[in-house]
Amino acid sequence: MSESVQIKTETVKLTIDGREVVVPKGTLVIEAARALSIEIPFFCYHQKLKSDGNCRMCLVSIEKMPKLQVSCSLPVSEGMVVQTNTSVVADARKGVLDFLLANHPLDCPICDEGGRCPLQNYSQKYTAYGQFKEEKRIYPKDYFSPLIEKEMNRCIQCMRCVRYCDEVIDSQALSSVNRGFHVEIGHYAEKQLDCEFCGGCVQICPVGALLNRLPLYEYRPWMLTQTETTCAYCADGCSLRLESRPQTREVIEVTSFWGNETKSVWGSGRNEGDLCAKGTFGYEFVNSPHRLTKPLVRKGGRKDGPLVETSWEEALETAADGFRRIKTQHGGAAFGALASARCTNESLYVFQKFVRLILGSPNLDSSVRYGAVNAARAMTELTGTPRWLTSYEEITRADLVFVIGTDITQTNPIAGLKVKAAAKRGAKLIVATPLRRRISTLSNIVNRATRHLAHAPGAERAIAIGLVKAVLEEGRLAERVASHRSTQRLRDAVAAITPKQIERATGLPYEEIKAAAGEWASASRAVIVFGESVIRAKDGYETVRILGDLALSTGKLIADGCGLAPLMEENNEMGAYEMGVVPDRLPGVGRLDDESDRDRISRAWKEPIPAGPGLTMMEMLKAARDGKIKALYLMGENPVGSLPASAGAAEAVEATEFVVCQDLFLTETGMKADVVLPAASFAEQNGTFTNQEGHVQAVRKAFDPVQGTRPDWEILSEIALEMGYPLEYEDGAEISHEIARLWPGWRELPKRSEQEEAVARYLNEELAEGVSERYRLDRKTDHSVAPNHRFRLVLGPVLFHSGKMSLKADGLMKVMGRPFLYMAPEDAERLGVTEGRLVRLRSAYGPVQRSVDVEVKMDAKYPPGLVFFPESFNEPPVKDLLTVELAPVSGVPVFKTTEVLIEKA
Amino acid sequence: MKYEKVLHKNLETPGYAGSLADYERLGGYLAIRKALKEYAPAQLIDLVKRSGLRGRGGAGFPAGMKWDFLPKDPAITRYLCCNADESEPGTFKDRQLIERDPHQLIEGMMLAAYAIGARVGYIYIRGEFVYGAQVLQRALTEATRAGYLGKNILGSRTEIDLHLHRGAGAYICGEETALLESIEGKRGLPRTKPPFPAIHGLYGKPTVINNVETLSNLPHIVNRGVEWFISIGSSPKSPGTRIFSVSGHVNRPGNYEVPMGIPLRELIYEQAGGVRNNKRIKAVIPGGASAAFLTESSLDVKMDFEAIAQVGSMLGSGGVTVMDEDTCMVRAALNLMEFFAHETCGKCSPCREGSSWLVQIMRRIEHGHGRAEDLDQLVRICNNIGGKTVCAFGDAEIAPILSTLKHWRSEYEYHVKEKRCMAGDRGEELVGIGRH
Repeated sequence: MSESVQIKTETVKLTIDGREVVVPKGTLVIEAARALSIEIPFFCYHQKLKSDGNCRMCLVSIEKMPKLQVSCSLPVSEGMVVQTNTSVVADARKGVLDFLLANHPLDCPICDEGGRCPLQNYSQKYTAYGQFKEEKRIYPKDYFSPLIEKEMNRCIQCMRCVRYCDEVIDSQALSSVNRGFHVEIGHYAEKQLDCEFCGGCVQICPVGALLNRLPLYEYRPWMLTQTETTCAYCADGCSLRLESRPQTREVIEVTSFWGNETKSVWGSGRNEGDLCAKGTFGYEFVNSPHRLTKPLVRKGGRKDGPLVETSWEEALETAADGFRRIKTQHGGAAFGALASARCTNESLYVFQKFVRLILGSPNLDSSVRYGAVNAARAMTELTGTPRWLTSYEEITRADLVFVIGTDITQTNPIAGLKVKAAAKRGAKLIVATPLRRRISTLSNIVNRATRHLAHAPGAERAIAIGLVKAVLEEGRLAERVASHRSTQRLRDAVAAITPKQIERATGLPYEEIKAAAGEWASASRAVIVFGESVIRAKDGYETVRILGDLALSTGKLIADGCGLAPLMEENNEMGAYEMGVVPDRLPGVGRLDDESDRDRISRAWKEPIPAGPGLTMMEMLKAARDGKIKALYLMGENPVGSLPASAGAAEAVEATEFVVCQDLFLTETGMKADVVLPAASFAEQNGTFTNQEGHVQAVRKAFDPVQGTRPDWEILSEIALEMGYPLEYEDGAEISHEIARLWPGWRELPKRSEQEEAVARYLNEELAEGVSERYRLDRKTDHSVAPNHRFRLVLGPVLFHSGKMSLKADGLMKVMGRPFLYMAPEDAERLGVTEGRLVRLRSAYGPVQRSVDVEVKMDAKYPPGLVFFPESFNEPPVKDLLTVELAPVSGVPVFKTTEVLIEKA
Repeated sequence: MKYEKVLHKNLETPGYAGSLADYERLGGYLAIRKALKEYAPAQLIDLVKRSGLRGRGGAGFPAGMKWDFLPKDPAITRYLCCNADESEPGTFKDRQLIERDPHQLIEGMMLAAYAIGARVGYIYIRGEFVYGAQVLQRALTEATRAGYLGKNILGSRTEIDLHLHRGAGAYICGEETALLESIEGKRGLPRTKPPFPAIHGLYGKPTVINNVETLSNLPHIVNRGVEWFISIGSSPKSPGTRIFSVSGHVNRPGNYEVPMGIPLRELIYEQAGGVRNNKRIKAVIPGGASAAFLTESSLDVKMDFEAIAQVGSMLGSGGVTVMDEDTCMVRAALNLMEFFAHETCGKCSPCREGSSWLVQIMRRIEHGHGRAEDLDQLVRICNNIGGKTVCAFGDAEIAPILSTLKHWRSEYEYHVKEKRCMAGDRGEELVGIGRH
């Protein structure tokens, strides 16, 4: 299975300080020494980076070599005899320290790195003291960026920041400028650093030259408590470390699992230590003064009364009373419940148990309904599990990666790093996106593409169909599939679609698609990475199935090194689906309409589960407007703020008799609720998140819940108790145990044998099902350059924001404090607007007749005729220009794109 | 004594303008015809190996052996680079070869490219050589038009393309790996070795980098044979002629092509016309600014690689700078140190921090602010640089200080103690050293 088993690694034996060690060929001397726990000091070396050998601190003496050698760039050789602790070596280290200290300021007492600084530590260890009595070099202080502080006088020119920015992030926002003695870290932007703000340069700087500006001078490292946990932003599932002050219940900063060798861990976690702007600089929402810290109820219990602060006792009692009343009067089916996929698995599990058992309602759904459910459902049908059959590691090692429907750096930056790593390794990279190549300090996956399928917006399905057609008709089918009877149905379906139709739909020559299909079919380790433009489209479910057909028909669905990799947006969408916070699934991806699944869970819970299927989110909102839903329970979910006005969420909440909302902040939905309960954030509770790959990862409590808040599951328990149904848990861990008892495979990755069974079943039974609906190009996509003032408006996620959390994180607001309408410079010119000018958007058709003014930003990444608006911003209300459409199979509310008219405001 | 000119033969012929027609008239491009017809690439490598031709850029590494380090698999793309970034203070021999006889260099590159199987070669020329670049570009165009360069040279189905790449004014780009980085469009910073360019060179491909003078020797070796080449010069390990750029306090500064191994004294007194005003010689730098200073007592050393190494310096780039008895050695060393401190690329700590540290101390001493502990401090800093840097620049920059301190320590002590200079103050007249 794994490469290490297949490939016999050659080994080399050498001696370091008199001790023998056997290491794989190609190992660097410094790593061989580490294997013996022999510490060789260094500054510029980093396992993530190519050796640069510039600091010269790691010099060692090697027999038969006249000069000292840098152990960070010298590979071991057989019989090598290395000395790391001779007096010559010690003198050399001291000499290097002498040079590095020569111009280094003695400001350790005020330096944020002081206490975790290798320069400080080594200086002490090697008793170096300043011999330098000349004039010190002084770099003039300049403003660098809102988030990153640059103190060049402390810089030791190891260039780890510059190398990281280039080699790992692929952004090249940083560079060394000037020569020789005057070398400093600079950047290309005109005024201040304008980059991805991943913060990797801050993490990797060994000294205090680059620092996080947000907590600058506010702490000494040894005063902080470190908590290793999982990021709460996107589904990439990064491990990070909260550096907090438990006394005041504040997160002071976030560090990654590497960065400074004194922190000693080299890149663990799914992210191997890399983080994005949200991970590094987005933590401040936890400390936000806008956090809810007191429960709110309607004054005097009147629906039209204002929300007033109250005690937890009263709030819980009000909630429980309200629920009890509705249940008695209208029964369980009168409840609707929505949860956010940002909550922990534990809270989500307790939520669905609460709704199903205590409220007695089948009507529950979560934010996976915004699109992730399309992928989860299709994947489960294809392979028996919503989880990936591939992994980040396999993407990195792939020889072909096919990326479709995602601007990956913006949506899933760390998964993006894996794709970039593959491309840098020499893998073929096919990128299907309407976006254009554009070099900037924000990395753009299109720039790395070896083949760019620049299709018309919204033509992802057509691309997928074209690829399947080419594979089938060019005889590129995998043997096992080619002989299978069900493929005939597929052949018939694609034969009915002409190359001309595909060309019309995609705006690409069919030959181009055929060439891509050929590359895909020939690759031996190939992964399809697809994202929100596929998943959240009206035909998202169908497109995922077609991509599945593409992988299956070429033998790449479950083969080693191959697979489908759907990208998800919220951190625990996988978890929400798997915990059964959807109307048709039970925990462990059991089916509500499957009697044996239902019985199994009922037995474990010792209570019958209400039969379904329940209502989906949009059905629930409609039922509420129709007066059929009498009570809504919202855990972290905010439909009023998330959906366009035309979805009628506000009307639904207003029409509902009793609404309970628990959240970190008072949301648009919360403002209309009858009871609002303050919830604790991810930093304040134990639990787990499941990332998009399917890794169940620990969420650890950094400090007690902020005064006045409680973890979601605890609130649920308390309401249950108040209602007279015990649903008690000691802590998050007890819930985890219950989940694991119910679903023994929960914490493990899917088993190969089970997947093979599932795929075989799919091939036999389901592949041919619904083929003709799947292979249809019904919607005519308009990809001509917009006539006059007609533009295609696309809404989507951006790197710096997620929504309610990121908008409360000051750091992220400093980078992107307000939204822009991004458009191609050609379009701006055509409209006669320049950057920063306002334009007026009007819906080109449909019932929505309103206009919105937005500030323009030019970005050549966007093709002419397409304008982009970051969906996390509700102001200006661009989102409200869209009419929500419902995806037929999954009931996903689709509001990604529409046509608008634009004119100068 | 008069010696037969080899590399200078054409350019010293009256009326020779370096055009293709001129070059062909004097027997140009016969060597490449001969090589294509008579030698397989491996045989050509062998021929150059047997000739014992050593690099004329500084390190004196045997050229044929360097070629032989390349991987044998012909499927692997490889590159040839000509190092024409002649920036070593006191060295100006390549410039003359480029400006006056460009086709000799082009033919040499064709031979090297053919031998190593490179289809593409780059000439990395010092940015300041504006005229040289024009001449070379013209010559490359001529050679391409005449069918010497291109897809099918001289009907042999051999493809060789040469490109001219101008530097942007950094001394460090003469260091071969910094040169490669610069061609790749990056900052000219030396790479850590290993891997060496023969394995991982330009764009990560196996690459040979040879100096202008080295390459210009090739047509002659092919035309006249190994025996002839070996017969020139005094030492079997340093065969062939060598062009020395003689400068400083001599009567006739200039480039002199002589057999390797003639005595230094002969080079100065017979070729370069002796010392101005019949002064005594105080110091000689025998191989460019990176070479240690020699004293008058070393004047009888033979100018070949081994003999110069034995007296504690190096033949280096062949830049011979002569200083007479009135020269202040502290000032001369400072002059060079200023150059090195200005030119350090700043990549590695010892060189970046050490060069400015050294220059600050040297300035103090020169300007009468020296301290008693300074001299030991200079040695200590130099020793912390020497052998500990990414490239040879570190060893080069300490040579002037260490060698002057060794031979003329009393002058330093006098500066420190008396706050003034012991010798006449003519250091600034040193032509070609550290003027920038």
